[in-house]
Amino acid sequence: MRRIIVFVIALVAGAALLAPGAPAAEKIRVVTTIPDLKSLAEAVGGDVVEVDSLTRGTQNFHEAEVRPSMMLKLRRADILIENGVDLDAWVDVAVVGANNGKIIRGAPGRIDVSRGIPLLEVPSVRVDRSMGDVHPLGNPHFSLDPGLAPTITQSILDGLVRLAPEHRAAFEANRQAFLTRLDGELARWTQMLAPFKGAKLVVFHPDFIYFIVRFGLVQAATVEDKPGIPPSPQHVVRVIRQIKDEKIKVILVEPWNDVKLARRLAEDAGAKAIVFASAVGAVKGADNYIAAIDFNVRTLAEALR
Amino acid sequence: MRPSPRVGFVAGLVLAMSCTAPAAAQDAEALRRELEQMRKQMQETQAQYERSIEALSERLRKLEAQPPAVATPPAPAAPVVVQAPAPAEPPPSAPSAMDLLRRREPFALYGARGPGQFLFDMGVAGDFVANFVKRSAERTESGTFAGRENRFFPREIELNLFGQVDPYARAEVRIEAGEEAPREELTVRLAEAHLTLLTMPWGTQLKLGQVRNRFGLLNQLHEHDLPQTDRPNVLRAFFGEEGLVEKGGELTWVPPLPFYLEALVGVFNGDNDVAFGNGRIRNPLVTARLRTFFELGDTGGLQLGASLATGLTADEHRSTIVGVDAKYKYRPDGWLHPLLTVAGEALWSRRTVAIASDDPDVVAAEQTRHRFGWYAYAELQPFRRWAGGVRYDWTEYPLDPGREWAVEPYLTFMPSDFLRFRIGYKHTDRSRPLLTDAGLAPRTMDEVFLQGSFILGAHPAHPF
Repeated sequence: MRRIIVFVIALVAGAALLAPGAPAAEKIRVVTTIPDLKSLAEAVGGDVVEVDSLTRGTQNFHEAEVRPSMMLKLRRADILIENGVDLDAWVDVAVVGANNGKIIRGAPGRIDVSRGIPLLEVPSVRVDRSMGDVHPLGNPHFSLDPGLAPTITQSILDGLVRLAPEHRAAFEANRQAFLTRLDGELARWTQMLAPFKGAKLVVFHPDFIYFIVRFGLVQAATVEDKPGIPPSPQHVVRVIRQIKDEKIKVILVEPWNDVKLARRLAEDAGAKAIVFASAVGAVKGADNYIAAIDFNVRTLAEALR
Repeated sequence: MRPSPRVGFVAGLVLAMSCTAPAAAQDAEALRRELEQMRKQMQETQAQYERSIEALSERLRKLEAQPPAVATPPAPAAPVVVQAPAPAEPPPSAPSAMDLLRRREPFALYGARGPGQFLFDMGVAGDFVANFVKRSAERTESGTFAGRENRFFPREIELNLFGQVDPYARAEVRIEAGEEAPREELTVRLAEAHLTLLTMPWGTQLKLGQVRNRFGLLNQLHEHDLPQTDRPNVLRAFFGEEGLVEKGGELTWVPPLPFYLEALVGVFNGDNDVAFGNGRIRNPLVTARLRTFFELGDTGGLQLGASLATGLTADEHRSTIVGVDAKYKYRPDGWLHPLLTVAGEALWSRRTVAIASDDPDVVAAEQTRHRFGWYAYAELQPFRRWAGGVRYDWTEYPLDPGREWAVEPYLTFMPSDFLRFRIGYKHTDRSRPLLTDAGLAPRTMDEVFLQGSFILGAHPAHPF
């Protein structure tokens, strides 16, 4: 038995010593909790960083499963960028399992991009779980608002500069170039959706409120009875009636949600259910931040026409 | 008559005053004007403030008259403007050896907290079980929940407190209450209390305190988190109903490899009297575990592990348990839950026992017993709220001759992530009747379990 233990220890130690460690010196290894932040971190970090996301765009970020493969990514990370506001609270379990002191809460390598974000849907009354999966700190899906990208990228820039101050000029130039491009796109998107200002929408889950508010649209109802709680038949009937009464044209649904139900409901109510890019990579063609927002604007403008 | 010096002084003073009087009058006039000007300014400022306060009060009145709003007012659409947000707080630096030696002020943050803020998370989990068995099994107390057959009882009500102690450590305390015998007061006990040092060098982490040992898949799970109502018979036979819960410390290491590997070594008292029982750190229970994980595409994941626990029994004989485990999950892309989970563990026990002789002059002989047991389960969850599965387990008794197998199909309904109901049926078949404290138990046994579990407040996310 003792021989087996010694052999296993020697094997692991040897493998650890032989493991490739050189790339760490070349690039800053950044891990993000959600793919939106990966795209934004790549935009700011440029060639200096190597970015990986713990989740994919097709997933529901509230309920990501903590896998050891997450811990492997975090073990090697120099920086962890999290969304915050309880969207990705599960990351703490993965960080503890990763044994990486550089990215624990409070460490210089931990970036929470919710800092400085004017949050929407902050409950003004006492919350409990009878209200469903409410977020006591506010709606955490702010990354879908392109107008908040300057604040998010500023947090990312601050974090990257903290760890690699020698690259400050490059990071700032990258961010500036990205925001200049985004500025042009935002003007175009605003123009595209301007004719539909004030249009009412139904959403399946309140993921899109920041996007809706940014472009002057109105969230009239949610298909879910309460956030995260599947709708009851009575609630579905109420929503159908509301869609008909208020002549609402569109239901927005996430690719991970009950798309079939959304389509059936839309059919009954005479509306159109469209699968929105709830994150970068959530739908085909939404491979980066600008592409994801562009997809949403184009699809919505088409549906509202 | 010569004037006295005093009269001269007074006359001089009067003369001087009369000369300076016009200048003083001019100064006083200037001061008066200045004061008048300041008074006017003050009055204007006061009027301005009063107007502002009135406007704010009016706004507040209007806002209070409105129904409570959930959302903050929408931000107007505006082009992207590059602007720096509020200045960043200075980042906490990584602790150096000197930092760790320096005196800390753990209560500084506590002193600065707002009302009602605990600075840690708190949750309560409740787990209630009803166990139905035949009268013969109840009489001999040979059911899965010995002594609580044909009863509805709180198996585990758990208060869970967890959070960061400071930038370098986390702590978790779990206090449990549960029924251990019918018609008796609930037993309250410390289930776990441990501190984890997070900033150890070379990718290591140290956990100190009372822990549910990381041995295999299920030992570290609390009762309400188990995939079935009860622990598999093999774990109950090898470690007892509670599983392996020990006091000591364990060091984990995640080496910088291209694949995930977690190595763990622990030193504990060895208080578990089913498997060990020596209870002395001088002859400690030593545990070790290796765990690895493979992503099988975007939808599958396979975890493999090997565990070891070796220590001394109460009569100072060596007891060693080795286990291997595997868990596979298939989660179709975009699903909120796995469709299929398959998992299992196999355990080997090697234990030296003393065979006492009837003759007091004969020295007790020693014998080494090799025992084996395993379990496996498969669970299907085609709908978010419904899951069903079956578990099979087979085990030899660690000390006595004989073996048993059991099969347990079950169905789980989860109205939400914090509420769960489960029904299960378990058939146990023993190679010989089992002798319990209450008598000779039947060779076969059929049980029905009903279980209800809930979680109030915070609950840490579960790993794979």
